[in-house]
Amino acid sequence: MLRRSFTAVLEKNSTFTSDFATEPYEAGWALEARWFVRILEISPGAGLTMTAQISPDGLFWCDEESGPFCLNEVGLASMPLRNFGQWLRLDARLSGKNPHVKVLIYLAVKG
Amino acid sequence: MSAVASMRDSILRADTRLSKYHPLSRILFYDDFDEGVNGWCELVGNHAGNLDDIREIARDFRPPQLSSCTFFDIGTHGSIEGTYSLKLATRAVPNHAAIAIKRLTYMRRGLVQFETYFTFKAEQTFDRAALSGWDGNKAPSERQFGDFSFSNDICDGENGKRYMGLVRYLNTDVDGNLVQKWMHKTSVQPTTRMERQGVVPPNQDFHTVNPDDWEEIPGGNQPLCFNETASKVNWHYLKWIMDTSRRRMVELQCNDNVMDLSSIEVPVYDGHYHGLPNLLNFLLDVRTRTNVRNFLYLDSVLVSVDW
Repeated sequence: MLRRSFTAVLEKNSTFTSDFATEPYEAGWALEARWFVRILEISPGAGLTMTAQISPDGLFWCDEESGPFCLNEVGLASMPLRNFGQWLRLDARLSGKNPHVKVLIYLAVKG
Repeated sequence: MSAVASMRDSILRADTRLSKYHPLSRILFYDDFDEGVNGWCELVGNHAGNLDDIREIARDFRPPQLSSCTFFDIGTHGSIEGTYSLKLATRAVPNHAAIAIKRLTYMRRGLVQFETYFTFKAEQTFDRAALSGWDGNKAPSERQFGDFSFSNDICDGENGKRYMGLVRYLNTDVDGNLVQKWMHKTSVQPTTRMERQGVVPPNQDFHTVNPDDWEEIPGGNQPLCFNETASKVNWHYLKWIMDTSRRRMVELQCNDNVMDLSSIEVPVYDGHYHGLPNLLNFLLDVRTRTNVRNFLYLDSVLVSVDW
């Protein structure tokens, strides 16, 4: 049997001007996951700091141990995860003066 | 019953996965979500490469999930067989809908029968004030669940007529009152082309031109088994038959309620749609009317035909 994989697009050309979190996504069946964040637009001086979060129930969240990754320019970045339990989301903090960012966020899971 | 039919019937009854279904002569697909998503993907509105062009109502139907039905109080519930079901989840935004689609084309026109075992839930909330008057039986969560639908998108051959059959279970109205009725729609689903041509204004209900373009299916009053809490999952059987040779719905069955749909007019689009000959799409959706996420779960799906 081939391994199963699935890519979810959790944000599509979404514009944010303050902190946000992605919708909860169930991935208990998967052994590994990778976040992809594509910044389409970001205001000068703004920064996007993203932390993978995990949850046993999709309701209450804690940070995954990998630590945050930061983006401050247009482009694509990714972050791998393993041993994450059941639910995944990204917690995103937006910094800078009157910041805005436009993003595509993908979650690729495999198991 | 012929010997061949009898043998087929015996084989189906002996198959522990299929014996809970009633397939027509040919099984077009059987989706066990322990095996993956089986081609059910997020519906997205039309665009030509720029996602900003997707009309507002059709840009955020959310990716389906393989769910183990895990809850904060009991842990994993699982599905009827195995662990996983297909889950559609809305955002916690009033009137937000999640829609998944599976896309095929057809070889012949005739009967198309959709069967599934489904359940539905609203996300657990922790507002103590909402528990005022809780009697220990009626779940406040039940009133936080809006509606779910099963539908299709069918286009007769090239330059043929396009239409969409649909059945909706309306659990609550926009004010949170329990309705618990099966509904059918009375207008077409506005398309991207219709909206760009100004034929219709941007729609508030994805499936209809106006939010009120719905009527009760005769015999459609049917409270379902929500079961007292946000984490108790009871699976319901559903069978929905469409006759694509007549562009009509035939019958809807949910558990012991069998509804005759043959007198219901299925709205047909004006004009022709390019690039859709023999289109045969199946859609699932769930919509919340409050700021609470709503979920639709399918244990498995079986679609069979008489061709």
